[in-house]
Amino acid sequence: MLDQWINGLVIGNLYMLTAIGITQIYGVAGVVNFAHGSIYMFGAYIGWMAITWWGWPLLPAITLVLAGSALLGLLLERVAVRPFARQGSTILLLTTIAAGLILDNAAQVIWGPQTQALRNPLPHWHFRLGNSTVTLLDLFILACGVGTALLLHLFLYRSRAGWAVRATAQDREAALQMGIDAGRVSRLSFALAGAFAGLSGLLVGLYFSNIYPMMGASATLKGTTAALLGGLGNVPGAILGAYVLGIVEAFSVEWLGASYRNLVAVVLLIAVLLLKPRGLLAPRRALNPEPTAGTFIPHGRPLRFPRWAAPAAAAAAFALPLALANPYPLQVLAIGWAFALMAVSLNLISGTTGQISLGHAGFVTLGAYASAIFTSRLDLPFAASLVISPVIAAAIGVLLCYPALRLRGQYLAIATLGLGEAISLIALNWDAVTLGPLGISNIRPPDFFGYELVSPAAQYLLALAILLAGVWIVHRLGRSHLGRALRAVREDEVAARAFGVGLSRYKSIAFGVSAFLAALAGVLLAHSYSYIAPDTFTFALSIQVLTMMILGGRDNIAGAVLGAVLLIALPESIRFLGEYRFILYGLLLIVMLRFRPYGLLNART
Amino acid sequence: MTMPIRKGSASRIRLAALFALALALVLTACGKSNAAQTAQGGAGASPAATEPVLIGVTGPLTGDNAEYGKQWRKGFDLALEEINGDGGIDGRPLEYVFEDTQSDPKQTPAVAQKFVANPKIVAVIGDFSSPASMAASPIYQRSGLVQLGITNSHPEFTSTGDYIWSNTSNQKDDAPYLAQLAVSQLGKKRLAVLYLNTDWGKTTVDLFIGKAKELGAEIVAQEAYLSNEKDFRPILTKALDAKPDALILISYYNDGALIAQQRQSVGFDETVTVVGIGSIYSPQFIRLGGEAAEGVYTSTRFYPADPRPEVRSFVEKYREKYGEDPDTFAAVAYDGIKILARVMREYGTERKAIRDGLEAVRDLDTVLYGKASFGPDRRLENPHFVNLIVQNGKFELWQP
Repeated sequence: MLDQWINGLVIGNLYMLTAIGITQIYGVAGVVNFAHGSIYMFGAYIGWMAITWWGWPLLPAITLVLAGSALLGLLLERVAVRPFARQGSTILLLTTIAAGLILDNAAQVIWGPQTQALRNPLPHWHFRLGNSTVTLLDLFILACGVGTALLLHLFLYRSRAGWAVRATAQDREAALQMGIDAGRVSRLSFALAGAFAGLSGLLVGLYFSNIYPMMGASATLKGTTAALLGGLGNVPGAILGAYVLGIVEAFSVEWLGASYRNLVAVVLLIAVLLLKPRGLLAPRRALNPEPTAGTFIPHGRPLRFPRWAAPAAAAAAFALPLALANPYPLQVLAIGWAFALMAVSLNLISGTTGQISLGHAGFVTLGAYASAIFTSRLDLPFAASLVISPVIAAAIGVLLCYPALRLRGQYLAIATLGLGEAISLIALNWDAVTLGPLGISNIRPPDFFGYELVSPAAQYLLALAILLAGVWIVHRLGRSHLGRALRAVREDEVAARAFGVGLSRYKSIAFGVSAFLAALAGVLLAHSYSYIAPDTFTFALSIQVLTMMILGGRDNIAGAVLGAVLLIALPESIRFLGEYRFILYGLLLIVMLRFRPYGLLNART
Repeated sequence: MTMPIRKGSASRIRLAALFALALALVLTACGKSNAAQTAQGGAGASPAATEPVLIGVTGPLTGDNAEYGKQWRKGFDLALEEINGDGGIDGRPLEYVFEDTQSDPKQTPAVAQKFVANPKIVAVIGDFSSPASMAASPIYQRSGLVQLGITNSHPEFTSTGDYIWSNTSNQKDDAPYLAQLAVSQLGKKRLAVLYLNTDWGKTTVDLFIGKAKELGAEIVAQEAYLSNEKDFRPILTKALDAKPDALILISYYNDGALIAQQRQSVGFDETVTVVGIGSIYSPQFIRLGGEAAEGVYTSTRFYPADPRPEVRSFVEKYREKYGEDPDTFAAVAYDGIKILARVMREYGTERKAIRDGLEAVRDLDTVLYGKASFGPDRRLENPHFVNLIVQNGKFELWQP
């Protein structure tokens, strides 16, 4: 018992370090920075070079890490934040994702993809508590976490620069009018955030004595969870949240097993979001700080195309297999169509209804598993499963999401992220139905009345037909009374409710239809891949689909399709770049957003 | 209906032109390489003596699993140097095209179609993870192009059809042998098993536990962990509470090293022996585990000091070229190319001939398996193991 308490505190220590950085930056800059993990990783590598290559002692190495990652934070601000500052926080979501992609891939090119050993230069002093040992490093990490939190507090509340930072966070316009240089404040915030991220990367690297280019992703997910438990922007809350998370995880391993660890973390997070959405330490008189959901995605007006454009494009797409004998581009586009369906379905939630979902992979997984189980284990024909599986997936999806639908803005986004993860973890742990980690193999190819669709052209046409059906549904829905109600929810929830639009009901309808279409894409992919496992559709997919949708433009169906096809075809067309492929992909994404911030097929209103 | 606003039309046209251009670029880039290849493929009916024989490799060069793709490449390059130094395939050089898939099931089917459409590709190696590899298998099977999985231990991997083969360590042999090492040779009776909760880990642990129980051992703890787990203290505490006399790791070297390290901080001491499956066998395990790796046992199919000539030549050349010891991932990649080269030399470079050759060929010289042949499940047969222990920062041979 005592041992698990200590285990929880020791890992909570690490979560705390990351959580403080994340919560501070959110509080200061109001930006959910997806490149945070990449700077964290770079910090670890800078420290590793100092300690391992040049033999520096720990304290000079830490100084170098602080300076180096602060510079990197400034660079990030210059390249991926400042040029987009006027376009709202969703664009920053995408540009920081792209910047993170560039940094992660650059690290792989610079230092190689393999895990590197990072030896702890501190003396191996430790003391025992029960069976467990607590080392000097554990205490050092604790001191660093609490020390930096205190320093930051002093800075924010006792210095003029700190006041400026806080004033800008509270009300940017008012701060500007008071003569505060908002650009300087933004640079300062990102330098601070970078330094924090780098330091925590180094210390966590020292704790595990290893570092690797992709180390940022999972660490920041845990850090964000801890920060949310404490309430974003609340430093004492983040510290508490980190230890609570560590201890709850340790006991979930003790009682349920390590496979349930992340599932329990997700359930804890969603429970806290629902019961105390402002965090464990939220003051009772709290104002509602989150942005109105509708303003989350940049406004824009869909470009108008002639009436014949859409049917003509569809006809051209259908005719393509006649002109193209090569199966490779057909296969690329077939997968592109499936992803386009996901982007179109997400567009209904995010573009039309103004809610952000980061858990779309969950709906895809539900559809894929439902169909795999029906056709492989219950011998249902594909044609029947194509209808039944998405319906069941949508029903389960809505049931799972329903309690979270009263959350708004980023809180809903985080809750859906958690739900998406939860669905894949359930697929992993529910052996009896899903075959657990082994996944379901030898799923039949799509067939209609005994006729199997196996050729690339046939699979291409099937995917295209299903996409067009989905597009038609979303299009009709968008122009109906229902569509107007959904847009009303997006524009102003309070006003919508005043006019008798029940928020939860309408959001459920949007989520239900969207889950149905995403699950349809999942069915399609399951039968095309022939094998699915709990890690086939991951969080990365959710992010990618969101990227596709935003790239296309808000509430723009054609844009979502175009965004999906471009982002699937782009990495294929630059294959000759090898390891540099995703560096260029990230750069191109930033450039596209720079020139069309409202989305490719949207114009400024 | 309102009329479209006039002033937008110029920018709309420009935009449309831009997209037409972008789309055309993307499509031509996708199609171009293949057009060129088809053109040459037409001439391929009577291949010039110098035209290279191409193997397609699908695997991760970027993304989470990039380090394994990099190990593969070292093994491939070494094998090619040997083969081409020795006359190639009937005078034609053997080469490979490595397409990065990030081991992502959304990219592997496209790469599969790309390989299938290129008549110069005569066989394919890869991919790394099961979801990525098996998403492409139906395409290789239908098109009649051999897919040789070099790291695919999923029990259903080769079941897609007769063009799908694997030369990776077969868990049907490896896991029971590990049980023998722990129970019969080391005399351990109370086993705590930690395993990676993936298709590989689950398959291995089931086979291991079956054999261990048969040999009379008791499984006092059996704990799965997720593949991105870094913090093993809680799971180790739980295992320690079950009072085991051996800790069994069904892990890769990265997580294996973390477990070895963290075990000391929750109170494991020398009285609990650590025994790991062969995939922890890598110089990385010692590099990352440091002192905590000392005294860990493992069983592998090859180790650098193995006197077998095929191992000697592989290890010496590898050390000379890369300045380090090879691990299982490099060895299995090396074997993959050598197997295909042998088959091509004896049975020709037609796609179908290679499939038939894999079935017919006997006594392949492999690093991992010694002399081995493919069995009816299209996997290599011939269990052959050595026991190793980490001593003074090195893997040393160990015998009871």
